[in-house]
Amino acid sequence: MAEYTSEDNKLALKVVFYGPALSGKTTNLMQLHSLLNPERKGELMVLETRDDRTLFFDMLPIGLKSNSGLDLRLKLYTVPGQVQHDSTRKAVLSRADAVVFVADSQPSQQDNNANAFGNLEENLEKVGLDIDTLPLAVQFNKRDIPGAVDETVLQARWSVTPWSPLIMASALHGQGVIETLRTVLDRLYTEIDNEFELANRHGIDRSQFITRLSASHEVNRA
Amino acid sequence: MRSFEDDPTLDDLLTAEQLQRLTHALSALCRKSVTITPHRQDDAVAVEFNLETVGWLSGGASPGERQAASELVSFLMMFIAKYRLAASLHHDTTEASYAELQRQNEALRASEARYRELSGQLQQRVDDQVEVIQQTQQDLYESSRLRSVGHLAAGVAHEINNPIGFISSNLRVARDYLEDLQGLVPDTEANRELLDDFHDLIGESVDGAKRIASIVSDLKTFSSIDQADYTPCDVNALLTSAIHLLQTEHGHQLHIMERLNDVPKISCHPGRISQSLYNLLDNAAHALLDAKPKKGQGRILVKTAARDNEVDIVIQDNGCGIPDASRSQVFDAFYTTRPIGSGTGLGLTVAHDTVRAHRGTIKIDSREGAGTRVTLTLPAT
Ligand SMILES: Nc1nc2c(ncn2[C@@H]2O[C@H](COP(=O)(O)OP(=O)(O)OP(=O)(O)O)[C@@H](O)[C@H]2O)c(=O)[nH]1
Ligand SMILES: [Mg+2]
Repeated sequence: MAEYTSEDNKLALKVVFYGPALSGKTTNLMQLHSLLNPERKGELMVLETRDDRTLFFDMLPIGLKSNSGLDLRLKLYTVPGQVQHDSTRKAVLSRADAVVFVADSQPSQQDNNANAFGNLEENLEKVGLDIDTLPLAVQFNKRDIPGAVDETVLQARWSVTPWSPLIMASALHGQGVIETLRTVLDRLYTEIDNEFELANRHGIDRSQFITRLSASHEVNRA
Repeated sequence: MRSFEDDPTLDDLLTAEQLQRLTHALSALCRKSVTITPHRQDDAVAVEFNLETVGWLSGGASPGERQAASELVSFLMMFIAKYRLAASLHHDTTEASYAELQRQNEALRASEARYRELSGQLQQRVDDQVEVIQQTQQDLYESSRLRSVGHLAAGVAHEINNPIGFISSNLRVARDYLEDLQGLVPDTEANRELLDDFHDLIGESVDGAKRIASIVSDLKTFSSIDQADYTPCDVNALLTSAIHLLQTEHGHQLHIMERLNDVPKISCHPGRISQSLYNLLDNAAHALLDAKPKKGQGRILVKTAARDNEVDIVIQDNGCGIPDASRSQVFDAFYTTRPIGSGTGLGLTVAHDTVRAHRGTIKIDSREGAGTRVTLTLPAT
């Protein structure tokens, strides 16, 4: 849950990258770490891994300071996708303000996607979050792999859900990663603006919230 | 409680001793000694970790030295923090798993208790249901038995009462005619014999008709066809009728001793009380038959006595008695010590219930092989 501490005028937000094993969650975060150039960016903490598979979680803190002095922090987490790490997934997921679901575009992985999404629903309920109100963006990663399920098929399949449209990505090549972050920031802003008076009190409107947190080297260069 | 994701403070990351060692090493590297404190000093630079200021570094010979030292500390912090994060996440998940386990255990215990309670309720419901069935069956047994006896009695009383009346009176008239005939017939040896025999025949027939009339009257008393529900009754009369009927059923082979004293009338349902008395007498008769070794000396003693405002009725036999184990069950419906087929066992239960309905008590004293004494106590009117 978004946490505001008035003594230091600090608002801490948490976004969790969720999804099946090997779908590219860690890759997303690593790319964000290198591509993003927000006002404030901490170290990417890759906790223990074994054979490149997340055992605990990865975490990247980014942030901005508003003119009003609001110290806004966004911590981006990944969960371990492997089935056996469910309790860790649940611990990392708890108190999330938004979720990015990273799905794998390969046809062979569609069952895993579905299972992981089911697991997300289950764990959200267990940690007291509501999937219908939680800001959630769905990314289909690994578009570069030949034979990836057709985008029109995927978009049609998800069109009836509140998470449409999907974001297509190739995280390994840095494509769609920032777009995904922007989508989730957009949905997150809708949820928190009222409560924390981001626009009214801190002068952070929707577009500022998104662009200042997702500023990238490329954009700056452009 | 702090969660694994809470930003760590300087204290969380380093013990005082570790901090001292660190500043020692840094001071050795710099030209002037440095210190790290949780709070800001004049010339201090922030030691940042994950966008969070975890401490302030002051001292050193120049801002450059301070900056370099601070970055070195931040760099170190990351590895310490990684380890801390992993450790506290592990701690969190272990605690959560344990809590979950406990919750499941609790839930299991709760559902177990619920099932136990449910099964208890189920047992209670089954018991209740069994009681209802037994009660219904008893009522059915009682009413059908009463009805059949009542019907029979009513039928017999109706059908026999008139013919037996004119048979009796006709026989008496016939006897008179015989007297008349005696004077008219020639007085020969053969004729005398014939007339004597005729006289005896008519005498026996008159006796027989009398007995038939008394059985009819017993049946009428027993079934109380013409009685209202509760009426003042003479217990002795009810007993006598029941005894007569029992004797009829057993071919007048039973040795029944009657010690019937003057007792006040009791308010009762005569049909029901008669049925109960008959049941008890019938049990006693069977107990005698079952006591084969003592065959021949078997007897039933039937006593009535007035006591205060109560009437005691004792039906005592010296038959087989009731084994200890089955004594507590004698009132249970369907229970019978007799072989299957020789009675439903409901007799005693019906007697028990009837007596209770009359606000009386029933007491059984019995010794196996010695006999049984049943004492009914009913309130007098
Ligand atoms: N071809 C291709 N490979 C990718 C892409 N994104 C990630 N990968 C590869 O997929 C593998 C798994 O990526 P990770 O980011 O470690 O996956 P993860 O979701 O963090 O996996 P867990 O930590 O086990 O849950 C790595 O070998 C990545 O290089 C992509 O867009 N295209
Ligand atoms: Mg990973």
